[in-house]
Amino acid sequence: MSVTTEQVIIIDRVQLLDNDTEHRITIRDGHVESIVASSDASKETGPNVLVIDGQGQTAVRGLCDLYSRLREPGLTRKGSIATESQAALASGFTKVLCSPDTQPTIDSIATVQLIRQRAEAAQGAEILPIAALTVGLAGEQLSELATLQAAGCPAASQADVPVGNTNVLYSAMEYAASFSMPLFMTARDSQLGAGGCAHAGAMATKLGLPSIPVAAETVALARLLELCRETECRLHISRISSARSLQMIDAAKQAALPVTCDVALHHLFFTDEQLAGYDSTFHSEVPFRSLADRDALREGLRAGIIDAICTDHAPHDRDASLAPFPATEPGLSAYHWALPLILQLPELVGLPLNQVFEKLSAAPRRIIDGAEHTGMTEGEQADFFLLNKDAAVDPMKVSLESVGTNHPLNIHSAESLGLSPMLGRVSHAFLQSRHHPF
Amino acid sequence: MSLADPQFNALGELHHFIDIDGLDKSLLTQILDTAEGFAGVNDRTIKNVPLLRGKTVANLFFENSTRTRTAFELAAKRLSADVLNVDLVTSSTNKGESLLDTLHVLEALQCDMFVVRHGESGAAHFIARHVSPSINVINGGDGQHSHPTQGMLDMFTIRRHKGDFSNLCVVLIGDIRHSRVARSDISALVKLGTGEVRVVGPRTLVPSDVESLGVTIFPTLEKALVGADVIMGLRLQKERMRTATVPSSGEFYRTYGLSPERLALAKPDALIMHPGPTNRGVEIAGSVADGKQSVILEQVTYGIAVRMAVMSIVMGNATNLRRAQS
Repeated sequence: MSVTTEQVIIIDRVQLLDNDTEHRITIRDGHVESIVASSDASKETGPNVLVIDGQGQTAVRGLCDLYSRLREPGLTRKGSIATESQAALASGFTKVLCSPDTQPTIDSIATVQLIRQRAEAAQGAEILPIAALTVGLAGEQLSELATLQAAGCPAASQADVPVGNTNVLYSAMEYAASFSMPLFMTARDSQLGAGGCAHAGAMATKLGLPSIPVAAETVALARLLELCRETECRLHISRISSARSLQMIDAAKQAALPVTCDVALHHLFFTDEQLAGYDSTFHSEVPFRSLADRDALREGLRAGIIDAICTDHAPHDRDASLAPFPATEPGLSAYHWALPLILQLPELVGLPLNQVFEKLSAAPRRIIDGAEHTGMTEGEQADFFLLNKDAAVDPMKVSLESVGTNHPLNIHSAESLGLSPMLGRVSHAFLQSRHHPF
Repeated sequence: MSLADPQFNALGELHHFIDIDGLDKSLLTQILDTAEGFAGVNDRTIKNVPLLRGKTVANLFFENSTRTRTAFELAAKRLSADVLNVDLVTSSTNKGESLLDTLHVLEALQCDMFVVRHGESGAAHFIARHVSPSINVINGGDGQHSHPTQGMLDMFTIRRHKGDFSNLCVVLIGDIRHSRVARSDISALVKLGTGEVRVVGPRTLVPSDVESLGVTIFPTLEKALVGADVIMGLRLQKERMRTATVPSSGEFYRTYGLSPERLALAKPDALIMHPGPTNRGVEIAGSVADGKQSVILEQVTYGIAVRMAVMSIVMGNATNLRRAQS
């Protein structure tokens, strides 16, 4: 992939998500100059003009991923800012919030700066580091949240490490509220289900796997919601997995608590039944739960209780999967298959495609900064991609884009997982005054 | 949708013995019938048969075990195999070497069969998927998942005493949640068409959705024992009593211990079974464990014949496969 730098880019005969007629989008110096019907006006030509035939493609606002692991610094055998930010961009994500569970964790300015510098050099998706809520994610001492926020962290999080001490959590939420810094929290009790690797249900019982009951999520969620009520901290529940959690979040929203939530893309597809045969490609830190839970998540998305979808991207090296199931490292390397899965959501969830994309673009941006710019409005910096909905995913590109190949679709056919064929590819991305043809 | 069962070879024959769950009734019956033949060997003056002569069986025990390892060793020796006991509890995997690296080293020693015990559920599946195709893997117990040779020797013991399974009522008592023996017994009993399989224990020891395995949960031991033909105790590990699962061994015995009084609720000819080691006065009264209905020591003896059967079947299948491929 190369980055092109033409002064003017004209994308002709391209469709918009909510409009099937062919449009012409003109980008000048990285900014959207005009979006008009293709039949209108004449096309500009010249040495500095690049014309892209957009026929059969759709222009989609750049996606924003609220939770991803880039593995750098410290875990570069699993992935790097360069590889994962390119993988994100190749899947339509122009903005990625990266988890603080790096080594060292993102609890100092130095780490934030390192990540930002490497991200700029990588020229992939824009990377926004999430601050570690506590130093070293140890759940004891607060990180310098205000400083980290000023350095560019839009939110703080404990990643997958629960805060056991409620005093610390209460303080953290009060402190974050002082700076209107949203907290991204995964609802997971520090003890209930600790050491578990599968949803507590029939499959874990059959396989004899240490299990994580739904209550491990709901008990922690109840604690977070009550502390949110007390502290008025902006609370974003990251990657919910159960029907009961949805009910609790719905009630909290109705009580006007400042709460939002997201679901990981793969939780809208997979269930614990897929662990049969100890298939560790389905080993996820937030476990895949029952069919009823998965269906409730789909309904929660449709009904708007779930605000956004994240990828929960977790690339691993091959060795991470070469162990008995409980000893494998959890997580799915999500980017390569994200777009084809997203394109199947309208049928599975009952939402039109533009509303599905809204959960991956406008909604996550509202959660982190509230800004309303779209990246596809005249006068704004261009921030969108061209989607070829009917192009098949190239399996050979998996290892080129991301270090991780740990995803069920890398070893199972879509058909065997009950899915439609994996279609949907990004052909061009435009962001930060750059043009990336793929 | 799920990964293929690694237990079968290209001819569809049993190549590894990992988990009863993937096997059908006719294969279980074949194992029991074969074991029946070997049970007679044990009564002879010369107990060895030459079926595995020239083969090397490696006992790879990543967890401590005396009983199971000894039974496998004896079974292999009676089949005339060379036996290698590798103590892995204190060995390289504790020095940071990965399980897979350890396996490859042992493969390089050119053994023919691995008997594996490991603390992680699914370890035997993992090993079976990654070993060289020339090696047969027998699961000697993986985590809380499966202990299939124990399951089969339990079935062998029941069949010897009761014959047909279809009219039997079998009760499993105690720690179902953490027990690989319970899972293998339940799986085998259900596949062999047992009339009724009951489980009973405090809810801390009965796992979620256990009914999906084909059993019925009973609220009290007294109710569970009524009409029972076979009563299977399970070992309650002492460490469970140090956590919140069971308050004390005394309370466990008072609520779920198999006392002579409770035994009287079952059928008069009910068998008493236990995979051992038993905790007398915790799961079972000493007088019941030693009583005339107890077949606990018979289980140990039959364990040799059943393991001989499993080893000879998979090794025979390996020979068939080599012939078919040459």
